Amino acid sequence: MRYMMMTMRDENEAAPDEKLFVEMGKFVEELSAAGILVATGGLDPDGMLMTVKDGELTVTDGPYAEAKETVGGFALVDVRSKDELEEIARRFFAITGGGVSRVHQVFG
Amino acid sequence: MTDAHRAIDAVWKLEAAKIIGGLTRMVHDVGLAEELAQDALVAALEQWPESGVPDNPGAWLMAIAKRRAVDHIRRARLAESKQAQLVQDQQDDDSADSGDDDVLRLMFITCSPVLAPKDRAALTLRLLGGLSAAEIARAFLTTELNITQRIAAAKRTLAEHERSRTADIPAILEVIYLIFNEGYSATSGDDLMRPGLCLEALRLGRMLATLAPQEAEVHGLVALMEIQASRQAARTGPSGEPIQLHEQDRGRWDPVLIRRGFTAMLRARDIGGTPGPYVLQAAIAVCHAQARTAQDTDWIQISNLYTALVRLLPTPVVQLNRAVAMGRAYGPEAGLALADRLVDDPALRDYHLLPSVRGDLLEQVGRHEEARLEYQRAAALTKNAAERAFLARRAASIVPASTGPTLGDATRDFLARPDLNAATVHSYGQTLRRLSRALGEQLPLRSLKSEHVARVFATAWQDAAPRTWNRHRSAIRSFAVWAELAGLDADLDWRTESSSGTPALDPVRLEAVWALDVPVRERVLWRLLHESGAAVTTVLSVNVEDIDFDDRRARTGRSWVSWRSATAGLLPRLTAGRTRGPLFLADRRPVPARMPAPGDLCPETGRGRLSYPRAEYLFKQATRRIDPAGRGYTLKQLRAGNRTRSDTSP
Repeated sequence: MRYMMMTMRDENEAAPDEKLFVEMGKFVEELSAAGILVATGGLDPDGMLMTVKDGELTVTDGPYAEAKETVGGFALVDVRSKDELEEIARRFFAITGGGVSRVHQVFG
Repeated sequence: MTDAHRAIDAVWKLEAAKIIGGLTRMVHDVGLAEELAQDALVAALEQWPESGVPDNPGAWLMAIAKRRAVDHIRRARLAESKQAQLVQDQQDDDSADSGDDDVLRLMFITCSPVLAPKDRAALTLRLLGGLSAAEIARAFLTTELNITQRIAAAKRTLAEHERSRTADIPAILEVIYLIFNEGYSATSGDDLMRPGLCLEALRLGRMLATLAPQEAEVHGLVALMEIQASRQAARTGPSGEPIQLHEQDRGRWDPVLIRRGFTAMLRARDIGGTPGPYVLQAAIAVCHAQARTAQDTDWIQISNLYTALVRLLPTPVVQLNRAVAMGRAYGPEAGLALADRLVDDPALRDYHLLPSVRGDLLEQVGRHEEARLEYQRAAALTKNAAERAFLARRAASIVPASTGPTLGDATRDFLARPDLNAATVHSYGQTLRRLSRALGEQLPLRSLKSEHVARVFATAWQDAAPRTWNRHRSAIRSFAVWAELAGLDADLDWRTESSSGTPALDPVRLEAVWALDVPVRERVLWRLLHESGAAVTTVLSVNVEDIDFDDRRARTGRSWVSWRSATAGLLPRLTAGRTRGPLFLADRRPVPARMPAPGDLCPETGRGRLSYPRAEYLFKQATRRIDPAGRGYTLKQLRAGNRTRSDTSP
């Protein structure tokens, strides 16, 4: 089963130090090799808003919402079970030192 | 299960290989190692609900288990008074990054050749995948007790064969692929697949690929499993029936797994060397994955790969697959010839895929009755309910005896009609052979529909000139009338043929034509065409007896062809005293076999009427020298020039 984890941006978060980079790099490498991590990436904080109304596309440049509500990064994971998903999330946040993720199961 | 239980279970499945691998290095006994690990799990179960799950639960479990292991060794060594060795072992335990080697060594043990294949699979799932006996039992459709006993027996066997118990990489690959196949194509039961086992096999394969990255065959197996697993969603229909590869909805193939498979395949290729059986099988899977549609499949490449594979792995099943590939690459007869050779192989006597494949090939070559019997045989042999239903349906879909003529039969009969002349047969043949090639000669004629025809037209002649399109369309209409398939051309529109293909010759070019040094017959014909503006066939049909020299006109059928001074000045030189017969005569007398109708024969010279193709050819040849494009003009261009001029002049 696959899940999309979207980690929320934390304005008060300290800039990541080298230790975090090294640990996260190792974590990502391990999960990718096991086939658990399908895809991951960071997201541009500003972004765009695309609206289609009456067939007309309008693009609005961000930032467009409260910073707290924006997604900072995503990870698509392939796990045996929801329990395994929780274990992966626990390991991820043990490296970042906490945070908030929105998680949805991916169908199809 | 409580939350703590489930959390521990998830941690355990991720960490079992490392923990048991490390413990096995310490205590030299997988059975004991597993017991020690279980002790650590019991401790976790006691403490985690109180203290919460530790930050690094794997390390926590490992630490507890190691402590138990050291206790165990100390007791054992105290009994044997070998303190020095103990100290040495403990130093080894603390050496960094030995985890990978431990896991690989554990794989060598659980896949040991001293164990029966199924026991190897069960033990590998247990110790490396962290599956419980109940989970393994469910996967292998057996009882938990059976698996518990089997694992206990396997551990005892390993303990007895302490020295000769390790496997090699190919043996590990075999076990992993066995687990995968058990999940991918269940040998029995009502579900075609148990995907959980596929995932476990994939995890084991990927794990092995990180442990032994220099082994091309490991990456080959991973690639093979990733790509096969990518088709899981597309392999079965709504009621669980199998869908064959070439009929699967490729949009449902999992692109993530395909991409991983390609990546693993590239790693295998980078390592190089002679491709082994897994790399070859993966290459075949890659061929399928690369084809956007079933029709795009490179069957020649696949049959080449099978030919290489059959040398390394001459099993009847591989030979059967090769027969399928050859059938697709070189026609059903080629496939059938290979499949027929396997009929007497005792290993395949009860293998349902042999009659299933033969049934398919027999149906393609039109041996319907035999095909039906083979499908029935295959249905009786398979243990899988969904597959049995599928095969029974295929058998039932073949109407016993007389299924009516095929498209190929009908095409041959249609073209052999005595009332078609050679040119028509040639033209219709082009159309109908294209249809047969695209839809298959064996397509029963009664299932040929207008949308089939429209599809073939769209791929073959979408961009053709309107005239070409209409010519093929006429062929279909004629065929439809003959075969009593009304509406076969319903989806083919008639296309307007623009006359822009024959632009009029301008005055400069015309002057060049008149200046050509050619026989009088040509000069009269060209002038007459130009001055009369009549159709080429009309002009060629003029007879000498119908010419009115004074009024500069001639009767043809019910209409008149008239000309002006240039023709009138030349005409007497062409008739040269003839009073009857065609005005324009061929150069030679006709051969007896192609004698024209009496009206087209000159009673005075015995020569036939000049034909349109010949006149056109001569004009083209003569004007090639003066045509800036070097192609030569057509007779119609003479007419067009005249018509344009007379239209614009008052």
